[in-house]
Amino acid sequence: MRPELKIPFILAWKHLLRSNKWTLSLIIFFMSIAFINMIFVPSLFNGIIEGFNYQIINASTGNIFITPQNGQDYISNSSAAITAIEETSGVTAASPQISVPGILKYDGRRGSWSVYAINPTKEKRVTVVSQKMIAGSYLDASDTDQIILGKGITGTGSKEDEINPFDLRGVQVGDTVIFSVNGTDTPLIVKGIFNTKFDNTDNNAFISQETLKKINPLYVDDATRISVKISKTGEESDIIQKLEKRNIPGNIYSWEQASSLMSSISDSFLSINVILSIVGTLIAAITIFIVIYIDISSRRQEIGILRAIGIKPYLIRAMYIILSAVYSVAGVILGTGLFFAIIVPYFNFHPFALPIADATLVVGAGDFIARMETLIWVAIIAGLLPAVFITRIKLLQAIWGGK
Amino acid sequence: MDSQHPLISVENITKTYHLGEVKVPALNGVSLQIERGEFVIITGRNGSGKSTLLRQLGLLDRPDTGTIRLQDEEVTSMNEKQRAALRLRKLGYIFQEYALIAELSAVENVMLPAMLLEPISICRPRAIELLHKVGLKNKMNNLPRQLSGGEQQKVAIARALINHPTVLFADEPTANLDSIAARDVLEVFQRLNQHEQATIVMITHEEEETAYGHRIITLADGKRL
Repeated sequence: MRPELKIPFILAWKHLLRSNKWTLSLIIFFMSIAFINMIFVPSLFNGIIEGFNYQIINASTGNIFITPQNGQDYISNSSAAITAIEETSGVTAASPQISVPGILKYDGRRGSWSVYAINPTKEKRVTVVSQKMIAGSYLDASDTDQIILGKGITGTGSKEDEINPFDLRGVQVGDTVIFSVNGTDTPLIVKGIFNTKFDNTDNNAFISQETLKKINPLYVDDATRISVKISKTGEESDIIQKLEKRNIPGNIYSWEQASSLMSSISDSFLSINVILSIVGTLIAAITIFIVIYIDISSRRQEIGILRAIGIKPYLIRAMYIILSAVYSVAGVILGTGLFFAIIVPYFNFHPFALPIADATLVVGAGDFIARMETLIWVAIIAGLLPAVFITRIKLLQAIWGGK
Repeated sequence: MDSQHPLISVENITKTYHLGEVKVPALNGVSLQIERGEFVIITGRNGSGKSTLLRQLGLLDRPDTGTIRLQDEEVTSMNEKQRAALRLRKLGYIFQEYALIAELSAVENVMLPAMLLEPISICRPRAIELLHKVGLKNKMNNLPRQLSGGEQQKVAIARALINHPTVLFADEPTANLDSIAARDVLEVFQRLNQHEQATIVMITHEEEETAYGHRIITLADGKRL
């Protein structure tokens, strides 16, 4: 190795070791803030998307969603289908639901809400409705005259309720609501009220299959949809293939296919994320440029002296590349520490409350590494530019300024 | 190396600075020769062109016209890379303001120019020896801020000597020093000149300091008197 090549490393090391510790700490702190700024937004979007995904899978469709075959209103002989589905490897549980068209009435108010008859035991294994009871309790399989209502039906208690003429405002656990099907009124006792925070589900009401049999004695073993829970999210397509081989009588979709909402949200967030990432990178670049520029400007005379004693400009630039790389790596380490030790836990305890999900910060490994690399490269370029500038000015101007 | 030729030969150099629209002539046709082993004092009033001349000789700046030859090699037309190499290998320059690197210790400051050419194992002992010569062996690990002005200037002298320069340029090296420290520094120069035949070109405008030199060159209004 040529002896001169060690000069930038020695100068950078001594600079880090002996320069003002407050200044050094401040530079690294700025770097860490720039890095946090770069990872916060994608983490938030990941968190929102993951929150939505969780809600769709766990509060609505399950991982896999089966609808009647084209031209059919029902999945007939659903018990056999459920057995076949549950025998498929990778499937945890399957729950049949049958839509019961009707009108719910309470205290002079009425609304055409979606009411589904379910097998409470199976439903409990597929969705989280049973865990989201905010009043009363969940259905039992043996219930014959009870109903659980989503919070969208009972009213949220907010001002928005004033403009919703259809909710059963004021209904409470133990009250009786009237479920009117084909002109026949059936009184049902409100056994519980649930709030999954997923509007599609919270605007539903559930009764047991036994209750449906009481309302409609002609009910046979049909289902309007089957929700399937699998053991490992992400393996939906494999399991769909297996189900198709078993000739399950229905159209089989993954939760993503079943929810057009999700793909439109993901696409929108992707676009916003790209724009904000570019802005974040620019902010980081400008911050780092300013920080390094101020650092270099304050050492202009020293750089002039280095040049005067014969140190070639490229060695001085190399020193600043090393310093910028060290600053940025230290900033990434500090930023990572602050992010995972303070910011992520804070938002785990205080998630962003969105209308359909609570969003926390979720860091994707790919995003994290990409932004880490971006910050380091941006820092190196932002550090190199002022170093090139300062080593190009006239030697006398660098040492003495002015003329 | 041809010992028939002077070490430095300056022919009719001019230098004009441009301060916006205003032209300020600093050197106006200066010629001189410096022989090996000489201790030359350049003196003159403020604004006479002393520092400008020394910067041309030390290859920190280029004259507008005229030529400078070092060991009979024309150096004014060299590119910046060649001039940097010459500064490193053949010239030692001592600044009025010490010009040490704040984050390097005394010994590190001294060995810095040598580290560009040689391994640390070779240049460190030489740096220590030079600090010993200028009387700072016991402060070699001090940072510049832990040294007095005179001590910092001695470190700068040791740094200028580390690569065995052909000639040593000193731009008012005692200007920021008290009289005792100034005498110390001048005695270091005198010893180097007398015992090691170092060629020294030093600027001063202190009358009593001119006594240390063999020859005095006086400038006024950018010309030799």
